[in-house]
Amino acid sequence: MKILIAEDDLITSRILEKHLQSWGFEAVLARNGEQAWQALKDSRLRLAILDWMMPGMDGIEICKKIRRRKKYKYTYIILLSAKDRKQDIIAGLSSGADDYMAKPVNFLELRARLQTGKRIIDLEDKLLYVQNQLKDLASRDSLTKLWNRSEIAKFLREELDRAQREKKPLGVIMLDIDYFKKINDSFGHKIGDLALLQVVSRIKRKVRKSDKVGRYGGDEIIVVLPNCGLLEIRKIGERLRASIARRGVKTGQETFRVTISAGCASSENRSQASAEKLIKAADAALLRAKNQGRNCVVVDDDATENTREVKNA
Amino acid sequence: MPDHINPCQTFPIDYTEVLERIGGDRVFLEELLKIYVEECDQKLRAIKEATARQDFSLIQQLGHSLKGSSANLSLTFLQKVSFSLEVAGKEKNIALARTALAALEKEFDNLKDYLRQNPPCPAIL
Repeated sequence: MKILIAEDDLITSRILEKHLQSWGFEAVLARNGEQAWQALKDSRLRLAILDWMMPGMDGIEICKKIRRRKKYKYTYIILLSAKDRKQDIIAGLSSGADDYMAKPVNFLELRARLQTGKRIIDLEDKLLYVQNQLKDLASRDSLTKLWNRSEIAKFLREELDRAQREKKPLGVIMLDIDYFKKINDSFGHKIGDLALLQVVSRIKRKVRKSDKVGRYGGDEIIVVLPNCGLLEIRKIGERLRASIARRGVKTGQETFRVTISAGCASSENRSQASAEKLIKAADAALLRAKNQGRNCVVVDDDATENTREVKNA
Repeated sequence: MPDHINPCQTFPIDYTEVLERIGGDRVFLEELLKIYVEECDQKLRAIKEATARQDFSLIQQLGHSLKGSSANLSLTFLQKVSFSLEVAGKEKNIALARTALAALEKEFDNLKDYLRQNPPCPAIL
């Protein structure tokens, strides 16, 4: 773990450094307040030992500045000072320090106090980890672990904004499993779920790294494809379709053929594409693919009426 | 001469105490003393200039800083005279500053002599 030592006295600084190293810390040294403040911009520095009296910015001022910053994780601060009157200790802690030690420092005590700091940082890390997990849980579909509808819609809006800024096309593919209801009815929902999972895993392998796959609802899956025009999206749509139709889906004892239909739309041929319009267009193309007998890809390649349809079955 | 700058101990450095503080590492102590001697040399010159200019706030600051380093290495006399300098700066007492400066120079020379005769990390053989 990295730790900052802000101390203008060379001897004290060197003794602290030596001790901290022997306890397994990586010490970062600063000789005045300004250097300390610069060093603290490294977000990996979570523990700081600050001398109160330093030329320029003193320890108290740094404490206050650290507590005012927003985007950083918690920094645990131990303030060192030769001042050991009650009112000094109170002033030091009030400035935002977590702990206060009078000089000369007893090193066994410092070590114990650093353990307290480490505990606080570990606690925060655990908390942030759980928070991230919860966030992830709330943004994903529980069965397929794909992005859920609201999350993928958010991604689509952001990517569309970016695409328009960068004058690049953005693609959307809507796809679903043909006769999914029949699969559920004849083999049961458990097998239906397993089939859906296999389809999802094949699709995830066939899209590009920059693409995002979400579960739009039921067996309807949406793929958002940044930097993807009509030609490209047709190829990708076809690649997805073929990857499913190529071989049967194994679900324990049962192996059966599964196919998907896909509808594709891109902002390339639209002057005013919105997320809603793209989803609608892809959905409409998917419907046409269904009407054409399924296991095929339809690209909505005109913003008005004419839609070229490709049948691959 | 005021009482608190009158040395009353025999040795300029308390080896037992300082070694205890840094875990008995004599090689490390030698390194620290080398840093100290360089620092003290620089600060002594700065204090001389500050005293000549009667820059009391600088005298106070340098005295304070030297007091800390000296305390860290259990340099009892030097700690005491540094404290006198800090006080002299705080009280804007030029007479005390001059006395303390003279005492500081003397103690610093004493320390260097003592370290030559009693090095912290004696060579084997």
